[in-house]
Amino acid sequence: MTFTFFFQNVVNALQWGSFYALIALGYAMVYSILMLFNFAHGDIFMVGSYIGFGVATGLLYLVTSGFIPLPHWLVLVLTIVISMFLTSFVGVIVERIGYRPLRNAPRASAAITGLMIGIILETGNLALLGARRLNFPSLIMSRTYEIGGVFVTNKKILVVLVSIGLMLALDQFVRKTKWGMAMRAMSYDFVVVPLMGVSIDVIAPLTFAIGSGLAAAGGVLYGIAYPILDPYMGILIGWKAFVAAILGGRGSIMGAALAGFLLGFIEIFVAMIFPSTLRDLIAFSIVLAILTFRPYGFFGKPYSAKLRL
Amino acid sequence: MPLLQVKNMTHFFSGLRAVHNYNLVIEPGEIHGLIGPNGAGKTTIFNLITGVYTPTEGEIYLEGESIVGMQPHEIASRGLGRTFQNMKLWRHMTVLEHVMMAHYSKLTYGLVGAFFGTAKRYREEAEIEKHSMELLDLLGVAQFADQNVLNLPYGVQRKVEMARALAVQPKILFLDEPTVGMTPEELVGMMEVFRTIHREFGPAIFLIEHRMKVVMELCEQIQTLNFGEVIAEGTPEEIQRNPKVIEAYLGKEEVE
Amino acid sequence: MKEKRFYRIRRFFSGTPALGWLLGAFGAVLLESLVGDPFSEILGLPKIPVLFGVVIMLKKPALIPGAFAYVLLIYAIPVILFTRITAKGMNWMADKLDKMPLWFSAALHLLVLYFTLDLWAQVSDYRLLLIKLMLIAIMLTLSLNVINGYMGEFSCSHPGFMALGAYVASVFTVGLFMNDRLFGHALLPAGIGQFLFPIGLILAGAIASIGALVVAIPSFRTRGDYLAIISLAFMFIVKSLIENLEVVGGPRGLSGQPDWATLPTVFIWAILCVWTINNFVESTMGKALNAVRDEESAADAMTVNTRKTKMIAFMFGAFWAGIAGGLLAHVLRYINPGTFGLQKLAEVLAMVYFGGLNSVIGSIVGAVGFNLLSEMLRPLEIFKWIIIPVLLILVMIFRPTGLIAFKHFDIREILKPKLKMKERV
Repeated sequence: MTFTFFFQNVVNALQWGSFYALIALGYAMVYSILMLFNFAHGDIFMVGSYIGFGVATGLLYLVTSGFIPLPHWLVLVLTIVISMFLTSFVGVIVERIGYRPLRNAPRASAAITGLMIGIILETGNLALLGARRLNFPSLIMSRTYEIGGVFVTNKKILVVLVSIGLMLALDQFVRKTKWGMAMRAMSYDFVVVPLMGVSIDVIAPLTFAIGSGLAAAGGVLYGIAYPILDPYMGILIGWKAFVAAILGGRGSIMGAALAGFLLGFIEIFVAMIFPSTLRDLIAFSIVLAILTFRPYGFFGKPYSAKLRL
Repeated sequence: MPLLQVKNMTHFFSGLRAVHNYNLVIEPGEIHGLIGPNGAGKTTIFNLITGVYTPTEGEIYLEGESIVGMQPHEIASRGLGRTFQNMKLWRHMTVLEHVMMAHYSKLTYGLVGAFFGTAKRYREEAEIEKHSMELLDLLGVAQFADQNVLNLPYGVQRKVEMARALAVQPKILFLDEPTVGMTPEELVGMMEVFRTIHREFGPAIFLIEHRMKVVMELCEQIQTLNFGEVIAEGTPEEIQRNPKVIEAYLGKEEVE
Repeated sequence: MKEKRFYRIRRFFSGTPALGWLLGAFGAVLLESLVGDPFSEILGLPKIPVLFGVVIMLKKPALIPGAFAYVLLIYAIPVILFTRITAKGMNWMADKLDKMPLWFSAALHLLVLYFTLDLWAQVSDYRLLLIKLMLIAIMLTLSLNVINGYMGEFSCSHPGFMALGAYVASVFTVGLFMNDRLFGHALLPAGIGQFLFPIGLILAGAIASIGALVVAIPSFRTRGDYLAIISLAFMFIVKSLIENLEVVGGPRGLSGQPDWATLPTVFIWAILCVWTINNFVESTMGKALNAVRDEESAADAMTVNTRKTKMIAFMFGAFWAGIAGGLLAHVLRYINPGTFGLQKLAEVLAMVYFGGLNSVIGSIVGAVGFNLLSEMLRPLEIFKWIIIPVLLILVMIFRPTGLIAFKHFDIREILKPKLKMKERV
């Protein structure tokens, strides 16, 4: 194993981990603040990718037909921003239908509604667009740079930079703004905080909206990196990001992002050393081992989180 | 040989000293009180002796046998019953099921009996049901046997919890603020329950209590705890006169 | 208020004991097997409607009247007539049976149920397959309910347990009794295999419950959400492990299982499963699961061995999941690792929460209801997967713990004679 080969994989792992991290953030926010699993989240990622596809195709059409002359980079930025914005409404709707009516129900029931909404999103997509796979339009020209024998494409740089930028922005939002602080307060105690004038009916949709927006960014970036979309693309990546989110630890949103990157690294490096068919086996064995020794994740503290019936 | 003996018990919670050099001797049938201001470490001491936490240092003997490091259920089945400050009833179970559940360690039918419903199982279940009904009867709550505990008034819930603790056939009973939140009438009823229990089964009782009336009336020996340390120990009269206690604890009540 | 809802309908159907309903159903099925074919011809139906006419109605709306008439004349009217006319006699018999030992009465009812199912299944292979799958679904749902309902953990490892069971049982039968590409010649004659099949299944259950230790032991230290992840990781690991085991066919799967999972076999196993699980959860030892769920520290203080309890719950649940997996492998006669993935997980979870937590009868209703619904709506194609989730969401919103949750499954109560409900005053 040479040095360059190693760094090549670091780059790949950073990119792959970015997707997990972006999705895991949404899981972790809902989980930290509302103590719920949002099992529809992987499918929101998928929806975000499809919305990104629609937005990108539309914008490109406008540009090529000469209707609105936009530079290429602006198309890219607009695609990400508009997709995030539109997908955040999907998140709000999911909260409204699947979670708000169940706020006092056992948490496991809400997990089931999330699972079902996920299936509805997949099937709805299938019904609307059919079973054919879509090709994500190429928004940037692929370029490859060589740095000391390591090949880095501009797409990978874009994915990693945008992801990290969004994470930092989220971190600032949660730390500095009024709403962010309200969210953090809610994550400590969602019995008392509503008594202080912070309404859970505002915080919950906001949480879902932000989480969905991040997932949409992940979806668009995913579409740029791997331009084939299908309605079931969100399932496996979503469940794995869910694992990362919990691995990060409750109450630690950034922990989820780090765990997302960690999962990306584990997967890529396992595939580097062993045959790629063993990837899931070894990656999840590592997850299992981590949770056996740190039963409350990396940054989580022991707490009694029973799925109360 | 004392029934329960604790020697030099000290406990740290991640570097924070919660209990320091705690000693206790309880003889069979004795009623022992533990008082002290909120946060003094009273419930921690209960949890240490009952096995919820393992003390950082010190020895605990129940009937001469060291119980440090045992699981709570092992200690309980050796004859240590307890109640909780916030009762900890099981929200989906009936009153009778609560009391029967506390007979768990006495069941001998094993998995075969549980899976296949052997005759032995039905015999044992009938036995513990009979015993449970007797306990409920003694505490005057037998008429609620088939009701879910959550639907019952507070005073009844407290009695159910007491019956549950008695079902482990305790030689010593740990009561963690058993009268908290009770109305004066309920309090009188509860005092009567204590006396009934003590008369019928004669267990030693180790009692955390904030109501001085209860402590002074029931206990033979009282320890006063402050910041995890015993600051005074003695009979109710001695405790009432002890200036340290008045300063740490009773003094505040006089102001109120 | 709630009492008064549907009062008339409930009154109309009251007064018939379980025996009456079972015999009524048997009568209807008998009628179908005798006159079903000519009858459907008269009504203009291509063949006997397989699932109470629903599939036909959805496929060809023109046949709705015919299918409707068929269901009415073959099932509904005969059953209603039979139960009403014989109500008195049935109650007399139920009363006699009530005085006999419970096992005898239960066995008799089950026998009638079995013959009804058998006769109903003789009409088409599709029905036979459906019944087998439904019985297996009952086992799965019930065994998951032990962990997720009775003990209140959110375990995602059930497909993993099933996979272990399915592969162990398949290797047992295919390897020992079949000539096979993967395992070579049969070691033992296939003739005795049928009798050794239960051993293979028990082995399957045992291996699955050993696998359950991987989830059970971490459950001593952690609970709820983290355990959900551990169980999910376990599921992925099992699936990936099998994919990498070329001995059992790897990702291509394993086929050639002998056709030993006949209806009586599956039926008997399902009954055993319901019986032992119900026995367990009704015992004080089984109720310890509820105590651990509702307040673990109190359970511990009341002498309940919480570790043992958790271990039993996981291993017992996994045992039955393993057996169900083994049966499934022999019903489908082909398995691959993909069978036991996230989709299976969603399906089993849906059945448990649809039917009702902490309830044996709920699990039966959940499994049967979900499967029937899923098959009946098949003509709708993908829209089925919008309707079913919507239904489940509605169930969750209006009954968050499922349709029939926290109910005791009292067999004597179900079988005893029923009185006619009084006229409303």
